[in-house]
Amino acid sequence: MTFNDKIDEWIKEAETRPASALTILKLVANRLRDLTERNEQLLAENLALQDGTRVQDYQKRIVHLERQLDMLKRQVGDGSSLAALPVEAESLNLLVYNAQGQVFRFALQDNPKTLGRISGELVSDGEFPRLLAVPAHEELLLLFTSGRVSTLRAEDIPLIQGDSFTWEMAAQPDEPHAGEILAALMPLSRLPLADFFLQASRRGFVKKTLTSLAQSILDNHYLGRGTTQKSDQPFDALLCQKGERYVLVTYEGRLLGLEVDDLTYSAEERIRISATDYVIAAFTLQPEQTILCVTQNGKVIQREAGFVEVAKSAASRGQALISPSRLEQGVRFIGAAAMKETDKVAALDAEGQLTVYEAGQAASAGTFQAGAALLSIGVIPATA
Amino acid sequence: MKIGLDFGTSNSGVALYDGHKVTVLPLDRENVLPEVVKTVLYITRDYQAAIGQEAIAQYYRDNINRQRRFVKKWGGEIEYHGADMSYVRDVFVYVDELKPGRLLQYLKTALRRKGFAGTRIFERFYTPGDLAQIYLSLLKARAEAVLGEKIEAVTLGRPVKFSTDLAHDRAAEETLRAAAHEAGFRQVDFELEPVAAALNYELTLEKPQNVVIFDFGGGTLDIAVMRLGGNQREVYANGGVDIAGSDFDRAIIEKRMLAHFGLGRVNHQPEILEMIQAVPDWMALPELGTPINRNLLEKAIRAGFASVQLKALQSLIYNDLAFTFYNRVEAAKIALSSEGAAVISLDDKDIALWELYTRTQFESDIFDYVGQVEKVLLETLSDAGLEPGQIDAVVKTGGSSSIPLFTDLLTRMFGVEKVKDTNAFSSVVAGLAIKASGR
Repeated sequence: MTFNDKIDEWIKEAETRPASALTILKLVANRLRDLTERNEQLLAENLALQDGTRVQDYQKRIVHLERQLDMLKRQVGDGSSLAALPVEAESLNLLVYNAQGQVFRFALQDNPKTLGRISGELVSDGEFPRLLAVPAHEELLLLFTSGRVSTLRAEDIPLIQGDSFTWEMAAQPDEPHAGEILAALMPLSRLPLADFFLQASRRGFVKKTLTSLAQSILDNHYLGRGTTQKSDQPFDALLCQKGERYVLVTYEGRLLGLEVDDLTYSAEERIRISATDYVIAAFTLQPEQTILCVTQNGKVIQREAGFVEVAKSAASRGQALISPSRLEQGVRFIGAAAMKETDKVAALDAEGQLTVYEAGQAASAGTFQAGAALLSIGVIPATA
Repeated sequence: MKIGLDFGTSNSGVALYDGHKVTVLPLDRENVLPEVVKTVLYITRDYQAAIGQEAIAQYYRDNINRQRRFVKKWGGEIEYHGADMSYVRDVFVYVDELKPGRLLQYLKTALRRKGFAGTRIFERFYTPGDLAQIYLSLLKARAEAVLGEKIEAVTLGRPVKFSTDLAHDRAAEETLRAAAHEAGFRQVDFELEPVAAALNYELTLEKPQNVVIFDFGGGTLDIAVMRLGGNQREVYANGGVDIAGSDFDRAIIEKRMLAHFGLGRVNHQPEILEMIQAVPDWMALPELGTPINRNLLEKAIRAGFASVQLKALQSLIYNDLAFTFYNRVEAAKIALSSEGAAVISLDDKDIALWELYTRTQFESDIFDYVGQVEKVLLETLSDAGLEPGQIDAVVKTGGSSSIPLFTDLLTRMFGVEKVKDTNAFSSVVAGLAIKASGR
């Protein structure tokens, strides 16, 4: 249909219903006004292109962006990884939290060897307490097993003092809703420099989410469960950058390395584990770090970053950390982390004792020499 | 507590009757009419669902100008059998792995479509019953939040005919019943939608009347000829046909809008023509967004074949503008019920579409449907054993019943004084609430 045909149809409408003539006139006049304004904008743009004004504008914008990039580089340092960012040693805290969302905050300023003892029931909803070292001014993301998230400043959790504590003395900043438990705490302050959220589930599902969606995630208080199985539950979440390596370690001593770039945006099963096995640690690994794996008896197995083979198949069985005979003897893993020689490790044992060890010494001795079976560990960065 | 629930093709609603008056619950505060909840469902990659304006808002927030990444995925195998040989070939599909969610419309139409087993949303397969169940459970939750108590029972509306095939019609009703049970309603019963609309009208009657209910909504036209008022309530005959608002939207797009996307200018490129001809199909359009199609379009644009129109087509497909486009078409159609002309416009990245559309054009585009509507109306009257002169009132309900062409048809057949307007969006749900109360 040509434009003239269309005009004929408008005239026909006006002839059939004279009242429509006014409506058509108004609509056409509005269109004419819009087109005139647009025409003026295009003419102005054309002039700016011809006299070079637009080119100068773009040059200024490029200079501004380059300056911003320089500032960012200075902030990050030479390394491209998040680990290269400085950690403020003097204000480092250790958080100990359980599935009910109860959190203790311990100060680490004086390099303590022990932090005290938590009395009472340590296992909550079938989960051991977890340990996380963060700067006091850190912003934390609380991930619940329903996929719900909330945020909290670490310094809003009261510091705990003394030698003996019960869970009743712990803060509970966001009580889990019905049917959910607290899956993990995640440091959030490096969000602007990170590319992805990574989530791991107990059954070995992994999901990557763009941090460009962070605003929507935080506004909606929802990151997602990160697993497609009903019987599964989220275990951990962290921030990472492109090109990093992600490692999963399981209870029965399987280790799986994954390239972050290969991960999908949908939750997919990445490690094929037995029915009795589950993920007990998930972390990113830098080339200069080693992997510290700890059994329930406090034995330490250390592996270099080069040990990790990157799994290419969709659901690999991963690499074995111990021999099948030791597995048959009942050896199981309670924690694993990426660390440097000079880092420290906080450990919680079955008697509720919280102890801080030198990671390097423990790795060379091959044991934490804990008085009781260990439940959880957490790495305290050396800059502390 | 028992409620009436109208699960409509385009809009849904919930109402309660306390024996004196019907209250249609305001379940969508974001909507222009809070008592009307759009029958749209948005399911995210994490399988979280939203309905109504919340679904639409989330869809826009997540999708407009978002990043895409297509990955080739194995979709299955096709077996070829020849005279003396057979072989199996792999089939691959392109999947946008950054797609954050999927918006679904016309959930009720899916129940009616024979042979439609369901649809895959990310890693899960949803049957029409699953989709209806998700929608109904969210609607129920909203209603319970408004009422502050648990809803145990529901009277659901259903069209006169889900299908002309009796077995399929029964199956569709059973699917909807099962979906309602799964959504948490312990007791579920049905009432024909036009009959429900009649119950609401009956409240206004002082003496018995022969009434034609003309329920013309987004998905179907349902007609009921009834005796109402006093102590008498009898259904003389029911009729229906699969014509409704969505068909008119499609007709507008097919006849007036495709030229904006290159129809008539692209002649020798069947793949591109296929894309243009898929524009009226709202559900098919997002599936066209593959890298192969993008390359095809870009090549044609660079070669100068209808570059403005094909750029608009590319923008429609790849910027997720289909939903907006369909809403603009529907809005113009609604405006033409009261105005002589309306504009269908869409101004976004690489797309600047403007079409002045008149009522004369609209009536010409849907004229074929008038004959079909008249035929089913006469057939239903004949089934009822009544002449148009024996009808005391014609009650119009549903959005499409306001289209002047059909109002004129009713006026011509029954006389202007007999054609009664009701609230197009709430008369069915109000009747369902009355029915639910056991009156």
